[in-house]
Amino acid sequence: MTDKVVEKVAIQTEESRNQGRRAFLKGSAAVAGGVLFTQAASASPAMKFDAKKAVAPYSGREEITDVMPDSMSRKMLGWGVRQYPYGMPSPFEKDVQRRTLEWLTPDSMASITMTPLQSLHGMITPNGLHFERYHGGGININPKDHRLVIHGLVERPLIFTMDDLKRFPSESRILFAECPANGAMEWKGVQLNSVQWTHGMMSCVEWTGVRLSTLLKEAGIKPEGKWLIPEGADASGMARSVPIELAMDDCMIAYAQNGEALRPEQGYPIRLVVPGCEANMWVKHLRRIQVSNVPLQHREETSKYTELMPDGTVQNMSWYMEANSVITYPSPDFKMQGPGRYVAKGIAWSGRGKVDHVDITFDGGRNWHEAKLTSAVLPKAWTRFELEFDWDGSELLMMSRTTDETGYVQPGMPQMREIEGTNNVYHRTAMVTWKIHAHNSPQGGMIENVQF
Amino acid sequence: MFNSKKTLIAAAVVTAVSGSLLLTGCSDSGSADWKKMIEANDGKYLDGAVVKAILGEDDRARLVKKFDPSNPYSFEVDDAIDGGAHGNMQCKVPEAFVDVHANVKQNYYDDASYKAYGYGTPIAEAALKNWKIHVDGDGQGLPPLDVGMTVEKGANMYIQFCSVCHGEFGEGAKGYLPLAEGDPLPLATSDMNAPAPVKTVGNYWPYATTLYDYNRRAMPFWTPNMPAIGEAGYMGITGYILQMNAVKLDDAGTTIEDEDFFNAEMLMKANKYMRNAGNFFCDHRPVIANERCMKDCPDYMVGDGTGNTKDYRTAGRLPDGTPQYNVEQRIEVSPPGVGHHGF
Ligand code: HEC
Repeated sequence: MTDKVVEKVAIQTEESRNQGRRAFLKGSAAVAGGVLFTQAASASPAMKFDAKKAVAPYSGREEITDVMPDSMSRKMLGWGVRQYPYGMPSPFEKDVQRRTLEWLTPDSMASITMTPLQSLHGMITPNGLHFERYHGGGININPKDHRLVIHGLVERPLIFTMDDLKRFPSESRILFAECPANGAMEWKGVQLNSVQWTHGMMSCVEWTGVRLSTLLKEAGIKPEGKWLIPEGADASGMARSVPIELAMDDCMIAYAQNGEALRPEQGYPIRLVVPGCEANMWVKHLRRIQVSNVPLQHREETSKYTELMPDGTVQNMSWYMEANSVITYPSPDFKMQGPGRYVAKGIAWSGRGKVDHVDITFDGGRNWHEAKLTSAVLPKAWTRFELEFDWDGSELLMMSRTTDETGYVQPGMPQMREIEGTNNVYHRTAMVTWKIHAHNSPQGGMIENVQF
Repeated sequence: MFNSKKTLIAAAVVTAVSGSLLLTGCSDSGSADWKKMIEANDGKYLDGAVVKAILGEDDRARLVKKFDPSNPYSFEVDDAIDGGAHGNMQCKVPEAFVDVHANVKQNYYDDASYKAYGYGTPIAEAALKNWKIHVDGDGQGLPPLDVGMTVEKGANMYIQFCSVCHGEFGEGAKGYLPLAEGDPLPLATSDMNAPAPVKTVGNYWPYATTLYDYNRRAMPFWTPNMPAIGEAGYMGITGYILQMNAVKLDDAGTTIEDEDFFNAEMLMKANKYMRNAGNFFCDHRPVIANERCMKDCPDYMVGDGTGNTKDYRTAGRLPDGTPQYNVEQRIEVSPPGVGHHGF
């Protein structure tokens, strides 16, 4: 086979596919998808790039004729197995990182990082990119020393080792974990241009663990036990009040994420998983569940994680995360490359179940187009969507709107502000708007976060 | 403290804002029909049309109805359900969330006939003595009445262990949270261009029990639950923080004095007079009940909510006029003007 393989995806006509097949039958070319040509084949005049035959986007484009240099990787051996006993991403992906905004908090031990949604694909967040939220710093706990206690209003107070927990029937579920402060910076207009900042306080991984209801049955809840108070073993002693209904619905005690043990950042060796609900209820480094007749009224459900309304009242005991969605491409981290065909991509999710529809507008909300769901559609998990569109180069105001299986339709920001005001901090789950600057404007092709 | 009084306050405020008096008819909103309506609509209990049929067209009025415990969409629980008078606010998963309740029903069990796996080990409550740092809204978990100290001593402890980050009088230091605000901005505001009001123990916290629980559980930040402070110390510090926030102890307006011996009893008195206590209510979301519109959607769904798509806000720009981007050299790292005071 010759060195020069020119990929002419352009001429994917019936004719070119036949040529490819003929070339293959002659044994002179490797054919992948019918569009690879060897030098020998393209040397014949009939095989030359014919601009007239190119389909619209390619017509008039010049073909590459410079001989492609061979790569170093073809000329030397690679490394042996177990060079990296625990594999890492390619060094070229080094900019794909969790990031934080220093001005958010005075201290990195009570702070948050955001997941780079603009660089993710599919519905799973790699463990190393799962967002972090600490109230008392990250810690390493030896699982041999760690215990989980269930006590309080139960028939049989019990203590479990980590091995004990793994003996129980397990369950694996792909679920998003979203900090209720996701989008918090944008109640009073927009602040920053990136989905990492607007929506990165969440991730979606496969969690494996024991059903909480299994453990509660094991301990036997007394009839007056109405609230669960899970508590963490870290410096913050994180706690929330979880009503027994949520606990009995689908909570889990997870010991694994994406197939491996929980990362310390996510609560190693075990954390509570409250599917679809505020991630601060998902108490990390879980060591104690007290079954109680009343809620705790912890600082993290009174002073914080409560929503101040415009009339001065405050909503608390907020649990479910509302249906939400965001277009991750095109989004402010990218720039449009001139008029033409684009595939809008993004994620949608709902704390109340499955995503039913995602619709996209290009005109600020007057008309909508249904996007295709391109991943598995699971309850309380990220769902991927895509929509092809032709950009004529004019200004666009793009938004995505999800409808979940309960029939809830994601609202726009003006409507949400009307009810919730601007000092809510949490649950800013309305749509965001990406403005695509017109191709021939001074900011041509730039994608900007704007807020109605 | 919470149900009827708070409901009325909240309802009154909301009604005042909306300028209408749609309180009538609240009590019979939980008509038996709601189940059928949801069922007829494939169980879609948050479908715009279903919610509007059950709770009415108006967003504001729907919000008011959420405070009615007989409403199937209400998160509120009547105090009386739990025996009443405990003062500790209760919320629930609303009746109308039919799928949650169906799951819960499936997972409930009869303890007498449950066959346990037996993988755990029984443990006595007494063995958990060092782990129990839990003081709830009812005051369960508070130390006995002889544990405490004078507020003056508590203030000294506070200055030693806390003031470096929170300021001598709770005014905050080095960017750490203030615990008191001399002249707090009103909480009832929604100004796009004004800073969010600072929320502190005095103007925001609904429970004094939370303060004792949190101080001992998590403070001082670098060395929480410090033996050198101890339960008595935490009690004294809590008294001092309540004093700096001018929390009263009774209807007569008795204030917390330096020489008061601050203990669990005083804490539970203060617990009844937290200024913002009556203003909390259970999460009501979602109130917004839209329909999925595809073509020529109504103005309220378009642009700024009036159909205008030319009126929007942008993030700060770089000196050359370009928007800020997520690449290192283009991120504007200075804090925004009107952000929030911690999460
Ligand atoms: C090293 C600095 C530091 C010291 C010292 C410190 N704190 Fe804090 N405090 C913090 C931080 C940081 C937070 C927020 C933690 C978070 O967000 O999870 C906080 C939060 C609080 C809050 C909650 C405020 C609110 O509005 O939610 C209270 C109350 C508090 N501290 C009391 C104390 C007391 C009492 C002491 C002394 C015993 C103390 N702190 C010592 C840093 C400190």
